[in-house]
Amino acid sequence: MSQEIRRLFRENIRDYGMFIALGVIWLVFAITTDRLFISPRNLVNLVNQSGFVIVIAVGMTLVIVIRHIDLSVGFLAGFLGAVAAIAMVQWNLPVYVVIPLTLFFGVLAGLLTAFMVATLGIPSFVATLAGWLGYRGALGLVTRATGTIIIPNDTFNALGGGFIPDIIGLTILPDKHKVTLLLGLIGIILYVASAVRSRRRRGRQVDELSTPLFVFKLVVISLAIGAVAWTIAGYQGLSWTGVIVLIVVLFYDFVTRRTVLGRHIYAVGGNPEAAELSGISVSRITHVVFASMGMLAALSGMLYAARLRSATTTGPLLLELDAIAAAFVGGASAAGGIGTVFGSVVGALVMISLTSGMNLMGIDNSVQYIVRALVLAGAVIFDVATRRSGD
Amino acid sequence: MEQSAEKAPVVEMRNIKKHFGAVQALRGVDLALHRHEVLGLMGDNAAGKSTLMKVLSGAYSPDDGGVYIEGEAVHFASPMDARRTGIEMVYQDYALANNLDVSANVFMGREVVRMSLGPFGVLDYAHMELETKSLINRLKIDIASVRQKVERLSGGQRQAVAIARATAFDAKVIIMDEPTAALSVAAIDKVLDLVRQLKEHGSSVIIISHRLEDIYRVADRMIVLRQGRKVCDTPVAGDLHDFRERVVAYMIGARDDFAETITA
Repeated sequence: MSQEIRRLFRENIRDYGMFIALGVIWLVFAITTDRLFISPRNLVNLVNQSGFVIVIAVGMTLVIVIRHIDLSVGFLAGFLGAVAAIAMVQWNLPVYVVIPLTLFFGVLAGLLTAFMVATLGIPSFVATLAGWLGYRGALGLVTRATGTIIIPNDTFNALGGGFIPDIIGLTILPDKHKVTLLLGLIGIILYVASAVRSRRRRGRQVDELSTPLFVFKLVVISLAIGAVAWTIAGYQGLSWTGVIVLIVVLFYDFVTRRTVLGRHIYAVGGNPEAAELSGISVSRITHVVFASMGMLAALSGMLYAARLRSATTTGPLLLELDAIAAAFVGGASAAGGIGTVFGSVVGALVMISLTSGMNLMGIDNSVQYIVRALVLAGAVIFDVATRRSGD
Repeated sequence: MEQSAEKAPVVEMRNIKKHFGAVQALRGVDLALHRHEVLGLMGDNAAGKSTLMKVLSGAYSPDDGGVYIEGEAVHFASPMDARRTGIEMVYQDYALANNLDVSANVFMGREVVRMSLGPFGVLDYAHMELETKSLINRLKIDIASVRQKVERLSGGQRQAVAIARATAFDAKVIIMDEPTAALSVAAIDKVLDLVRQLKEHGSSVIIISHRLEDIYRVADRMIVLRQGRKVCDTPVAGDLHDFRERVVAYMIGARDDFAETITA
C-alpha cells in the first residue's frame, strides 16, 4: 500500500498541489491573525465577496483549455450588470425576466467573440482586447446620463448579499443554520453514493484505488464537506451567492469530466487538428466555450451589481485578469488541454485568501501585489517542473 | 494475385487525377486493394503517395476518376465520411491528444454514452475502458493502463494507440502514413507485427513508407508512384537485394511498366 501511496502522490501531485497550498495559506493566516482569518464570518464573507470572480474563473478555464483567452469579460460583466440595472429601473421589467434576459445577452456577446475567433480567424487575444475596449465604452455610454444606477430590487440584491432561509421553530442546535447543515449532509450522501457507484461500475476491471485508500478518500472528502457546512452554518448559513457558485461549479465540473461535450473540449485543447479529423468541430466547440464564458460574465456582472446594490460606471475592474490568474494558479496550462474547474476554483480561493488575509494583517497594498505575483509565478513554475518530471 | 479471383476488390481507385494550381499531383492513377492484403505504396517525395491516400481517406476530392468500395462508387466529402464507410487513416504524427488517456483517444469523436442528453450525453467510461483494454490485449500492445495519458507513452506506444484506434470500429481498410518514420528499431518491429495482426484479423492495409525494408517485410504487393503516375504494380517477392534494386529503378524513372498508358 505504501507503494501505491507513493505512486498516487507522484501522479496526482499536480492535482492536489493547489489544495495543499490553500491549506498552508489558511494555516499561516490563522496563526498570523490570531484565528480571525478562519472565523466563520470571515470565510463566509470571503466566498460571498469573491463569487463573481469564481464564476468568471470557471468559464475562463474552458477558454484557456481550448488555447484561447478572453480579456473582454471584465467590462462585459460591468456592462451587462448595468444593463440589468437599467432593465429593472428604467424598463420596469420584473427580476425574473431581467436575469434570463441578461444571461441571454451574455451568450450573444460570447457568440460574437466566437464568431471573430473561430469564423474570422482573429487571435482571441486581439478579438477580446477589442471587446475589452468596446464594452468599456458601452458601459460608459449606458451609465453616462445617470452615473451609478441604484438598484432598489431586494430580490435581485439578495443574489449578492442575501442568505437562504432557515426552518423557524426548531429548537435543536440553536446557533446553527439548520438548512445549511441539511444541505451539507445531502452533499455528503450524494458524493459517497456516486463515488461508490462509479467504483462499482468500472472498479474491478480497470485499475482503481485499493479499498483502504478509497475509503480513506471518501472519509476525508466527506469530513471536508461537513466541516465547510458546519462553519457556514455557524454564521448566517449559506448565501445565495454561495448557492449560485455551487451550482455553477458542480455543473461545470460535471460537464467537463462526465460528458461528451467536456471530452470534446479537452480533445480540441489537446490537439485541434486531431479533434477535427475525428469529426469534432473545433469551430462548434469554440462557439460553445465562448458562449458559456459570455453567459458566466453576465452572471458575474449581476452578482457584482447585486452585491453593491448598484451598477457602477466602471464595473469590476481587472476582473478578467484576476480570473486568468486564478486559472493559472489552479493548474491550467496556456499550451491548452489542461486545467480543471475545481483547480481554478481553488486557484481563485488562493488569490482571494491572500488578499483577505493580508488585509487582516494590515499589509501594505503594494506589498500584497508583489506577494500575489510570487504566488502566481510560483504556481506556474511548480506546474512546469512537475510536468517535466512526468515524462 | 490469386486473391482477386472472384470478389470485387475492397478498394478500387480508377484514373484518379488531382491538381493543385499548376501542379499536377496525380495524373490518372489506378489502385486496387484486395481482401486480407497488405499493399505497400512507395515513391519519392512529391510522387503523389500522400495525395492519393488523402483522396481515399476523404481529405481531398479528386478532379477526375472514381473510388469504389467493394464494387460500389463512393464520394467522400470529409474524413468522417470515409470512416463511416470503414476507411481509417493512421496519420504520420499519430493525431492523438496527448492530454487525454489511451481510452479517450481510441474513442475520440465516437464516445459511447450511457445516457443521451444531446451534447451533455454522459460518457460510459466503464464500457470504453473495457473495450480499449480488450482491443489492446487482442493486438498485443504493450501498455500498462488504458488510463495512462498519451503524453507519458513512448513513440512506439503512441503509434500503437493510433493503430488501435483505427481498428477499433471494424475498419475494412487501414491506411498508414509512414508508420515507422519516427521509431526505434525495436519499435519498428512491433509496428510491423501489428500490421501482420491486422491482416490476420481480416483488415486490408495500405502502408506508405520511405523504408523499403518495411514494405519488403510486411507487404504482399507494392505500387510505386513517380511524378503522379503509377510506374510499378507487383507482388513483393525475391530477395531483399534484388527487390531494392528494382524498386529504386522504378523510383528514379529508369523503369516504367505503364509508360504507354499516359502517352496515348
